[in-house]
Amino acid sequence: MIKDISVMIAGQAGDGVLFTGNVLAKILKKEGWEVATYRYFPSNIRGEPTHYIIRASQKKIFGLGNEIDVLLSFDCESIIKYTKLIAQGGVVLCDGEELSRLKPTHKKGKAFHKFPLKILAKKHFKNDIFKNMIALGALCYILDLNFRLIERIIINAFLKRKGKEIVRMNIDAVNLGCEQARLIVEPSERHKLVKKMDTGKMFISGDEAIAVGALAAGCRFFAAYPICPATEIWQWLALHFPEFNGIVVQTEDELAAINMALGASYAGTRAMTSTSGPGGSLMMESYGLSGMAEIPIVIVDVQRVGPSTGMPTKTEQSDLNQWIYGSHGEFPRIILSPGTVTECFDFTAKAFDLADKYQVPVVLLTEQDVGQNSRTAKKFDLSKIKIDRGKLLSEEELKNNKDYKRYAFTSNGISPRSLPSMKNGIHMVEGNEHDEKGYRDEDPENRIRMMQKRMGKLSGSAKDMIPPKLWGDKQATVGIIGFGSTLGPIVEAIEELGDLNIRAKNLQIRTVWPFPVETVRDFIRSCEFVFVVDNNYSGQLHDLIHSQVKPEAGMQKILNYSSVAFRPSDISTQIKRAVRDA
Amino acid sequence: MLKLEDYHHQDPTWCRGCGLYGLFSAFKKVAFSLKIKPEKMSIISGIGCHGRLNSYFNAYGFHSLHGRTLPIAQGVKLANTQLSVVAVSGDGDAYSIGLGHFIHSLRRNVDMTYIVVNNRIYGLTQGQTSPTSRMNFVSPSTPYGSKEQPLEGLQMALAAGGSFIARGFSGAPQQLASLITAGMKHKGFSLVEVLSPCVTHNKIDTYQLFKSVIFDVDKDPNYDPTNKNKAWKIFSRHGDKLPVGLIYKETRPSFEEQSLPGRKPLAFLDLVPEAGKIEKILEKFE
Ligand SMILES: Cc1ncc(C[n+]2csc(CCOP(=O)(O)OP(=O)(O)O)c2C)c(N)n1
Ligand code: SF4
Repeated sequence: MIKDISVMIAGQAGDGVLFTGNVLAKILKKEGWEVATYRYFPSNIRGEPTHYIIRASQKKIFGLGNEIDVLLSFDCESIIKYTKLIAQGGVVLCDGEELSRLKPTHKKGKAFHKFPLKILAKKHFKNDIFKNMIALGALCYILDLNFRLIERIIINAFLKRKGKEIVRMNIDAVNLGCEQARLIVEPSERHKLVKKMDTGKMFISGDEAIAVGALAAGCRFFAAYPICPATEIWQWLALHFPEFNGIVVQTEDELAAINMALGASYAGTRAMTSTSGPGGSLMMESYGLSGMAEIPIVIVDVQRVGPSTGMPTKTEQSDLNQWIYGSHGEFPRIILSPGTVTECFDFTAKAFDLADKYQVPVVLLTEQDVGQNSRTAKKFDLSKIKIDRGKLLSEEELKNNKDYKRYAFTSNGISPRSLPSMKNGIHMVEGNEHDEKGYRDEDPENRIRMMQKRMGKLSGSAKDMIPPKLWGDKQATVGIIGFGSTLGPIVEAIEELGDLNIRAKNLQIRTVWPFPVETVRDFIRSCEFVFVVDNNYSGQLHDLIHSQVKPEAGMQKILNYSSVAFRPSDISTQIKRAVRDA
Repeated sequence: MLKLEDYHHQDPTWCRGCGLYGLFSAFKKVAFSLKIKPEKMSIISGIGCHGRLNSYFNAYGFHSLHGRTLPIAQGVKLANTQLSVVAVSGDGDAYSIGLGHFIHSLRRNVDMTYIVVNNRIYGLTQGQTSPTSRMNFVSPSTPYGSKEQPLEGLQMALAAGGSFIARGFSGAPQQLASLITAGMKHKGFSLVEVLSPCVTHNKIDTYQLFKSVIFDVDKDPNYDPTNKNKAWKIFSRHGDKLPVGLIYKETRPSFEEQSLPGRKPLAFLDLVPEAGKIEKILEKFE
């Protein structure tokens, strides 16, 4: 019985790879499987190879597996490129003439079939756009999927917009694909999946989950500038904010986006902006303004491959240093890193409370891999969200206050905020160093006190921060530390190591700043081997641990800066080698 | 009862004779004459000598970043449409480092007032050439003379779709006050540029010079500020001379009228949505 399957759909950009994959993912989800998708797309629209992997499993998964079981391709280029990844017993359908270029060694144990999708589409429907539905029909046959589910998806997608005739043609195309595959694919090559019940899970991307989290947390102002792979956050909010009286502004650039959000937040609205690396770089000066002027803000960075324009649609974790150390001067900041779509939702909601409570910028640092790929997840628990706006004064509370001080020195450094329009709450908000009332002040003694006030705000904050999460066997002495989207491959690497009798565990860092020094130190002390997984070149998390924890023992870096997400085996093989060699 | 002094927080410390004094007193008079409660005003300033204005004024103030006054001010207004929002910039702030925001704010048309203090120099940083400095202007940053054309903010504003475009002179505070008043009453984005001598660093663009190069369109009975064609022509009517007064005004819906019609200020919304409302939307993900 198949417990885990990965289907790759490949082609040129413009071939409808994403569409085909999304329908397949939805069907699998409806059939009760855990689903994770992985898109590897070029940053242009047409004419470059792309692929989309849909993985379904009976167990909880967060990302890519190691191999591909079924590959359907609209051209041959991808086949040749990815034959290495095809599992023994795997089946390949390819629309193209170049299968002959494959060496017999590459083909061993795998079934390759030519499948003329475009010709079939043209012949039967006079339009090669139907190739996607024919492809889906073929996949339905190979995977033994419920035909009714596809019908329903087609009806939902096309009936209103395109009418009955188009629905019928699409259904016919699926049937045709199914029939044609039956003629070509041997029964023994099929990968029949067992049907389960849809347990009412969600199928959602990290970007969408962040948007939902923001809405649920009471964010009502969002400003941004378009950028891959963060734009989906905006698009979801743009669609749904109006019903909740919120507003989305498309600004002229990221400088405007963050500053507009800061203005809105200063005036009292929960505000957010989202971007990726290049936009983050532009936002640095205002990141500091938020810290200096103590204006709460939530900034989402869906990281992509950098530096510069890098690879806009590919995943990486290379902005960590930028958010921890970036912007001139020193100011307090909080950086959260979700590892799953559910955490994207939870952490976003939490980010707003933290920003309000500590009056600091909160960065939600995620990656293309989590942001743009969809996963199955339990329905979000909206009842968990309790909006806490921190020390926000009401006009009533200011009534008898004739000497309000916006930046009053307090025991924990957090000063109650009044909002424009409140009587008795008038103050200056200053990016210059300022006194308690917010007026510019260059007195060295005041400077020292103000620095201590701001920088001290997070000193007692550990109880509010999202703690690291331990995965795997507590007693294990092989330890892995990671953050963000590497969670999935790490957790699966631990399983793979378990099969080899190497017991390992993972500490998932979920608040990367302020850094959870004690927990990480204890974790490292409990291990004989420590591996730090970084989806970047220099090992930014590794170096962060090094500087913050100063561990006695050495740690080994596991790095990936290929632009392709980690696969479990990338991690498990390195660990296996290191542990066995020791 | 509000008094004029209610808008005065502290005495300015600009150089004696600086044009900013004229603006400061005119602006206080505007707020007073419009009876705006100080707590209902938010003044956002950029970095430069002009940037100090709101710390002398009694109202909510935000001294922000060089060039970023406009996005901040628009964020404030959108979050609370009941506030009177005024942004203050210098010519460097508005026409150099913040120029992108300038153009886009004009076309976005959020209901707020933007005062650009044009002293044709960088005041705070000790007198470097600015985008409005004349050709061959000699300053510490261009000791052999500037080789760049100056730009004309108001013409750009007209091209960018500005709905209220005016220019005053800090040496004529009464007219300046009336222009700012009209700007603040205007439903949309109002731009008031102020010719304002920097007596310390700019020995060319003095009160006398400004006086000799301006002509007042408000006094011209044949000028019609609602006629865009006339507005275009006014800039070249008298060669290099500068029009002051209300140059152009049109009525069009503000950004927030269109995107936040009749809504309670976002800043004071009840953030807990009706039970089940978000859950309903989430069904799409099932
Ligand atoms: C990003 C950035 N670059 C440079 C500066 C330095 N700086 C401060 S004020 C200023 C120019 C001020 O000129 P203007 O905006 O015309 O204002 P004025 O002082 O003349 O009122 C500059 C360049 C800065 N504060 N921030
Ligand atoms: S330097 Fe110039 S602009 Fe600044 S206060 Fe002095 S006179 Fe005014």
